[in-house]
Amino acid sequence: MSRPAPPKAKHATSPWISIKNDLIAYAFMAPYLFLFIVFLLLPAVVGVYASFTKWGIIGQPKWVGLKNYNKLINSDLFIESLQNTLYFVVLAAIPLIVLGFLLALLVNQKLRGRNIARAIVFLPHVVSVAAVGIIFQWILERSSGLLNYYLGLLGVNPPINWLGDPDSAMPAIAITTIWWTVNGNMIIYLAGLQDIPEDLYEAARIDGAGRWQELRYVTIPMLMPVNAFVIPLTVIACWRVFGQVFVMTRGGPQGSTFTVAQFIYETAFVNFNMGLASAAGVILMLITLSFTIIQLRAMKVI
Amino acid sequence: MSDSWRKESVYRDGSLNYGRLALYAIMIFVAIVWGVPFIWMFVTSIKPDTEVFSYPPTWWPDEPTLEFYTRLFDSFPMMQWFRNSLIVATITTLLTLATNILAAYPLARMRFRGRRILLLIILSTFLLPGEILLVPLFLGMIKFKLANTYFSIAVPAAANAFGVFLMTQFFLSIPVELEEAGRLDGCSRLGLLLRIFIPLSKPVIATVAIFTFVRSWNDFFWPLIISNTDATRTVPVGLAVFVGRGLSMRFGVIMASAAAATIPAVIFFLLLQRYFVRGISTTGLQG
Repeated sequence: MSRPAPPKAKHATSPWISIKNDLIAYAFMAPYLFLFIVFLLLPAVVGVYASFTKWGIIGQPKWVGLKNYNKLINSDLFIESLQNTLYFVVLAAIPLIVLGFLLALLVNQKLRGRNIARAIVFLPHVVSVAAVGIIFQWILERSSGLLNYYLGLLGVNPPINWLGDPDSAMPAIAITTIWWTVNGNMIIYLAGLQDIPEDLYEAARIDGAGRWQELRYVTIPMLMPVNAFVIPLTVIACWRVFGQVFVMTRGGPQGSTFTVAQFIYETAFVNFNMGLASAAGVILMLITLSFTIIQLRAMKVI
Repeated sequence: MSDSWRKESVYRDGSLNYGRLALYAIMIFVAIVWGVPFIWMFVTSIKPDTEVFSYPPTWWPDEPTLEFYTRLFDSFPMMQWFRNSLIVATITTLLTLATNILAAYPLARMRFRGRRILLLIILSTFLLPGEILLVPLFLGMIKFKLANTYFSIAVPAAANAFGVFLMTQFFLSIPVELEEAGRLDGCSRLGLLLRIFIPLSKPVIATVAIFTFVRSWNDFFWPLIISNTDATRTVPVGLAVFVGRGLSMRFGVIMASAAAATIPAVIFFLLLQRYFVRGISTTGLQG
């Protein structure tokens, strides 16, 4: 930023005015940039640095090179947390995207009461993960839980031990997550649907398109730019799953819901192994980043 | 549900047919699935101990009671947690608004060196998983003896780029003519921002404020690690720790705690619904 002005700035009246202009601009941004640098940029850089060190809660970091990464690759617990999180991403991200889209289609219909339906689906958005986790622990409870009662009426017997069985615990966390956060994607898709020009539908109809064709050749292609940010943001959010697990299962039973964020939490803030936790954080960052790049490549955005 | 033929003229008069009936049925089902957990939470919280586990489930207690709420407020510092949440969310929101409005103005309306790269760096943080920041922030707060303070919970959240992005977008849409008229009248940059941009941006400022407030109110991971005393603990952290204290079979009190935390948020949402919808649909960010 301290480099000399690029030649294209010459058309400004004089270099002095341009420098004064720069100063004013940076003066306006200074308070935010201070927060941004101190609480976002610097911690991100230090986080990457910390991943190459041995660092306890007190004392100085000691450079250890790739030792933390080596430890992680050979740690069954970490590999398991990666597998569990990937499983969660598959279980939750796909429904979050597909259901978000379908719900948007639904509440975009000219139906009486659709505003109420929108509001109800949106409501969980303002509820904290702690409350959501608590509510669903009760709903998913084995013997007196609401879900098992209604599943029982539908003939599901014996009742599922949702949070107590390693096979069903992660699906239960995924169900909770979908109920809690699908509304965000619904709202984004809804805005996308409402931005599609009416002419396109009319043109399609004149060409004899039925509903399916309209959906396939107008709605879905027109929503591609929306997908380009809904999909990466949903996948990133799923990779970071923490609160639901912390409240509902603490990673259990038998480690079946132990996720990467959980690993970071326990390594850093229970065992105070800051270097190892940072390395896990860097790996999480690399995973989400490569997912995002692959997705955007596949969609030909970049 | 595949019915995307939203403007089908035959149906526009609202007449019923099987397709529309099916849509109504689906819509009602959706409303039940998303509404019932709230109702169930509330109903459980006012059931006496003898009725909590009644089977089949009952939708209204024979003897409704507020006993769990009194027990909740007697045995746990709920009011203190609420106060902490309120203070933290207010600090984060005010700090976010003040710094973001100032930063968005030059980003949207001035040509200066470094603008493009700065925007790129700020926006790229949307893709950064916050877990990488936790360790350095935590160690920094410990080092400067700021752990367990409102500062440590509230201030880092104000570095989030969401509001800057939203306000920059909005400022870009304000007509140049208005700005030039103000400049001819001898307004300084700050005067332009205060007298022209801020009054025109009230809706977007409200959106950022409400979003930031709710995000801060519900934030979990960071407050969990940086506050471990009731003096600064926020509601979500209090709830999570409180459930972790081995009360997990006493669903009455637990549901009362969830309801006490949820009811203010729900009222807040019902009053300010449209701002949430706008915030999400313009940025894709979900708090």
